[in-house]
Amino acid sequence: MPLINKTKKIIALAIGVFITVNLQSCERDDICAASTATTPRLIIEFYDVTSTEDLKSVPRLTAYGEGLVTDPNEETNPDLLLAFNENLNALELPLIIENEDIEVTSRFILERDSNLRLDEDDTTDSNIDIIDVSYIPEFEYVSRACGYKTIFTNLTVNVDTDDDSDPWISNIIVDVETIENENTVHVRILH
Amino acid sequence: MYASYIKSIALLLLCSTMAFAQQNDKKKTVKDTLIFKQKYGLRLGTDLSKLAHTFLSDDYTGFEIMGDYRLTKQIYLAGELGNEERTITNEVLDNTTKGSYFKGGIDINFYKNWLDMENMIYAGFRVGASTFSQTLNSFDVYNFYNQYWDEGQLSFEEGQEFKGLTALWGELIIGLKAEILNNLYAGVNVQLKLLVSQNEPNNFENLYIPGFNRTYDSGNFGTGYGFNLSYLVPIFKKDKVVIEENEAEE
Repeated sequence: MPLINKTKKIIALAIGVFITVNLQSCERDDICAASTATTPRLIIEFYDVTSTEDLKSVPRLTAYGEGLVTDPNEETNPDLLLAFNENLNALELPLIIENEDIEVTSRFILERDSNLRLDEDDTTDSNIDIIDVSYIPEFEYVSRACGYKTIFTNLTVNVDTDDDSDPWISNIIVDVETIENENTVHVRILH
Repeated sequence: MYASYIKSIALLLLCSTMAFAQQNDKKKTVKDTLIFKQKYGLRLGTDLSKLAHTFLSDDYTGFEIMGDYRLTKQIYLAGELGNEERTITNEVLDNTTKGSYFKGGIDINFYKNWLDMENMIYAGFRVGASTFSQTLNSFDVYNFYNQYWDEGQLSFEEGQEFKGLTALWGELIIGLKAEILNNLYAGVNVQLKLLVSQNEPNNFENLYIPGFNRTYDSGNFGTGYGFNLSYLVPIFKKDKVVIEENEAEE
């Protein structure tokens, strides 16, 4: 009977698809893969103030969130130091989230010439600048495994010059006002 | 000309052989006529697995009314009507979906019933539609660097309801139904679903669709199964005449 042959084919097809669907879906849906783009960090690059197209490394840069490190020394706080005594032309800064739609400011210490603080010579010291990073967090749906991520809108970055007569940072240019991912540079710091 | 000539000869030959055959077949036959009452009509039932799930689990309540109606010996009009509430909780989300669905289509019976039975081994298709709402009870904001400012995993109890959601899908169903008591049928079936369109909430997604069941990231496929109990309301009673021809000895 041709009808019975047809049924057999339908059943075989149904079972086949059922199995493949189930095999496919077991793992992927339930674990937030490390490769998934979730909450981004602020990406900063350092440029030369005299030639604004050229990257320029900050000599002996040490960077960390304000209030997180009292004695910036690599041995005691390796996780909290975003940079330690390194010549760097780029930096990634994790931001405070707190809540949605409410402006938050994350403050970071950027210390140039850290070696001058660390050495034995007391007559020379490093130059510490503090930057204010202000933004409004927004939550964006990622997937059932990762939940939501945060994007940061209305980004502004300023040097806190209140107690600083000699800032090493000359200018800060915000290129991207909404931080959605880590694929682009958001802020250029000229020095 | 030739064609009609050949045709008439062929017809002539055919008639003569038939006459010959009739002559040859002179054995007497006795016809035994058996008459069976055949009942059919609307078969109404419910999905037991949904009822069991409702009683056994805290995160599900639902029921389904199903029916089929015999159009011909092989083809049945079939449909399901249901209401479900399902809460899906994982490490990062807690969401409740509430809503109703309707599925309608055709079942084709491949089981050749003997005498007065209405059993089925069938394959069929359905078109399904659902209207529902989702309530996001709580969610986590994933931040790989959440240890830096010592924020930890941020979790928010939101309770935001997304209303007016809809979905449309097609479904392939295979199953069987067997009479276990007079007019009472038990059945099992499995369903393979393909989502055709859905209305998704802003900044969220449909994690579960009533009637379609859970959705997957990997595609538009869905699956389902049912254990049902149904009652055949005998609207029509038709005599099924079975004629047995017995050769009788002369």
